[in-house]
Amino acid sequence: MGTTKPRPPGKNSLAQAQSLPDKTFIIDNGAYTMKAGYAPDSLPPDDEETTLSACTAIPNAIAKARGSRIYVGAQIGTNVADCNEMLFRRPVEKGYTVNWEAQKEIWESSFFDEKTARSKELRIADPEDTTIIFAEAPNALPALQKNADEIIMEEWGFGGYLRCVGPSLNAWNEAQSLFGDPVLSQPGAAVSPTECLLVVDSGYSHTTVTPVYRGQPLQRGIRRLDIGGKHLTNYLKELVSMRQYNMLDETYIMNEVKESACFVSNDFSRDLERTWKGNRRRGQPDPGDGVVVDYVLPDPNGGRRGFMRPHDPLLVSKQRKAVLAGASADQLNEDALILGNERFTVPEILFTPSDIGMKSAGVPDMILQSLSVLPTGLHPAFLANVIVVGGNSLLPGFMERLEAELRQIASAECVVRVRRPKDPIRSAWLGGSRLATNKDELKKMAITRQEYQENGSSWTARKFSGAL
Amino acid sequence: MYHVEVLPNTSGKGSHATPGWTYVPDKGFDPAKAAIAPTTGRKRGIRDPSRTDVSSRQANAIVRHLAELDRENHKDAAIAIPARKDSQPRESATRGTRTKVTSNVRRILQSQKTFRNYLDDEEAALAQAASAGTSMAAQRLPAGRVTKPSSLSRRSATPASATPKPDSRAKKDIPVRLSSQKPSDTTASTSTSTSTSADADSQSQPQPRPKGEEHDPNALIKSEHDNDPLLKSYIPPAPSERLMRALLSEPPLSYNASRAGPPLTGKAPRRFCCICGYWGKIRCRNCHQRTCGIECYKTHEDSRCGAFF
Repeated sequence: MGTTKPRPPGKNSLAQAQSLPDKTFIIDNGAYTMKAGYAPDSLPPDDEETTLSACTAIPNAIAKARGSRIYVGAQIGTNVADCNEMLFRRPVEKGYTVNWEAQKEIWESSFFDEKTARSKELRIADPEDTTIIFAEAPNALPALQKNADEIIMEEWGFGGYLRCVGPSLNAWNEAQSLFGDPVLSQPGAAVSPTECLLVVDSGYSHTTVTPVYRGQPLQRGIRRLDIGGKHLTNYLKELVSMRQYNMLDETYIMNEVKESACFVSNDFSRDLERTWKGNRRRGQPDPGDGVVVDYVLPDPNGGRRGFMRPHDPLLVSKQRKAVLAGASADQLNEDALILGNERFTVPEILFTPSDIGMKSAGVPDMILQSLSVLPTGLHPAFLANVIVVGGNSLLPGFMERLEAELRQIASAECVVRVRRPKDPIRSAWLGGSRLATNKDELKKMAITRQEYQENGSSWTARKFSGAL
Repeated sequence: MYHVEVLPNTSGKGSHATPGWTYVPDKGFDPAKAAIAPTTGRKRGIRDPSRTDVSSRQANAIVRHLAELDRENHKDAAIAIPARKDSQPRESATRGTRTKVTSNVRRILQSQKTFRNYLDDEEAALAQAASAGTSMAAQRLPAGRVTKPSSLSRRSATPASATPKPDSRAKKDIPVRLSSQKPSDTTASTSTSTSTSADADSQSQPQPRPKGEEHDPNALIKSEHDNDPLLKSYIPPAPSERLMRALLSEPPLSYNASRAGPPLTGKAPRRFCCICGYWGKIRCRNCHQRTCGIECYKTHEDSRCGAFF
């Protein structure tokens, strides 16, 4: 904390060894959005909101709309009027930053260029006076890690640098209140990581399980399921294209459909029965009520956004009658997708990948597989502290389903608690910002620019892998 | 009907001790020969899938489908970095006092390698390290870290054989620790586990608590049943500090080794109607896709039968 730790290192040790700059910039470089912003100087007293206000989620993509207009990064969220047939180029593949040509362009336009950088909070004016925390997905290829180290330190030349496994940053968040435990830490003490935390990170390209012990990942327990939000969107797109309209080129729109309509079923076979098309014919009240919905597609010409409404099988005939009776005709030319079992069979593949023929365990099984290589003494602690981050955790019903299934397969003696932080998307960033306020810990983990210049990138790789 | 044919035997060309033909393994379904060896009857073909082996074709279709789901855009598109009019001043502004682009940076920026390329490189390097034997791996190791032999073999071995290794080690550790620490349970658990105690007290009321811990707000009520063996909860003690340090210092698994394994429960995969998504109750006899009923089957037969195989 600021009061307990003055900052002498910045002044007197400059002569013999460069120390870490005071300002810390954190980038959680996700495949879909990058979460970036400056860490606060000191920890605001138990208020996550003010800290999170410094963090912005920027689409990590270069998009091409109809008419060959190109949008970079933050422009995608705001400037695009017509998102039909939008194409994306993403520098992050499978969760790892692969194409630095595109990534550099997005970073420069988001953080370095004063014309395009969104606000002053996001602008890195002088990298030499900034420490950067770069969060990466676990089990990255060493070649890609080396690329990241070299380009961050040699192209931009940050004054301090820390590359770490993204999910492990979540351990620095305050988890006791989330789980309803008594808060142990004293208000004035420096931030310390949660002792045992099992982080399930279900993102855009994959879903990972990372056991984190005192802020460090237990590498042997990290498991990955190659299904993420991208696969869900593509699967929904495929189903809808086969059954209704061809939406194969409409990735952006189908992603919005997924976000507003999809849910994780807590009783799969019951929901599947409710949406059976044979129910309609029998003349009795439709049990699909509440499950079957319409999604009205956005209309760029009329400037209308897409939205969801309950399905009414008689709607079309009602509208015709209304038009005949003299109402305006613009309701008739709206296009709607009827979503029945697509709403829950799509997220279901996270729990049962065998539904699409994938010979892999679902998320609850994967958690047990991860624990099976760890000492049994740790199982109760990890099972009682499961935290779910990433965009897919926002699917309604995801948390309930995961907790219920995990409860069934976990050992009966263990308490199972599955929680989601208030902001699951920016949770790793928030953890990183809390780590950054603990300057002692940060100094142990990060390297300075001088150290990089003296020792080179292979030393850096060894340092960040914990070998030094 | 199986296709039997006489194959020339190359090894027995000179001597006449061996006959001029040999048994060869049946490679399963071959579309080129499907016309020569017809399936044995309509009904048996439906009931017994092994006769007309579609599994390899189905596996191919699944792989293709998964690759399809993994795509960013439906059609391939090359999106170039937009050229900037003011690129020259911007470059100098952001680079500031630093000198020109280093060779590393230039190489990385110009690289058009995809993740697949990098992964292939990595797999090749691992395979080479494995085939070069333990001597190579032993040379590589000091660069990484001085650890136990288990991490050495895991680094160099193929992913398939690597995953069980940590398992066996962990199992080996636990019984030893259990047997040695059980008598001195109270001291060990107070010193090492503060986190496990938090959830232990929420779940295992009857477990005898180590003395000397003050739990004023949620103090446990003592009763004579506390030591009842039937009510005792068998929670293993937390691992020792030394073991945790060893676990934390392990190198990461390779990309392929960290993939989740097959499901734990041996449940049969669920089948869905390929048209409407309801339960797939009947199977098409031509392409073995599932449909839910006669209505969807008609649609399937008319439009998509055999589309994926």
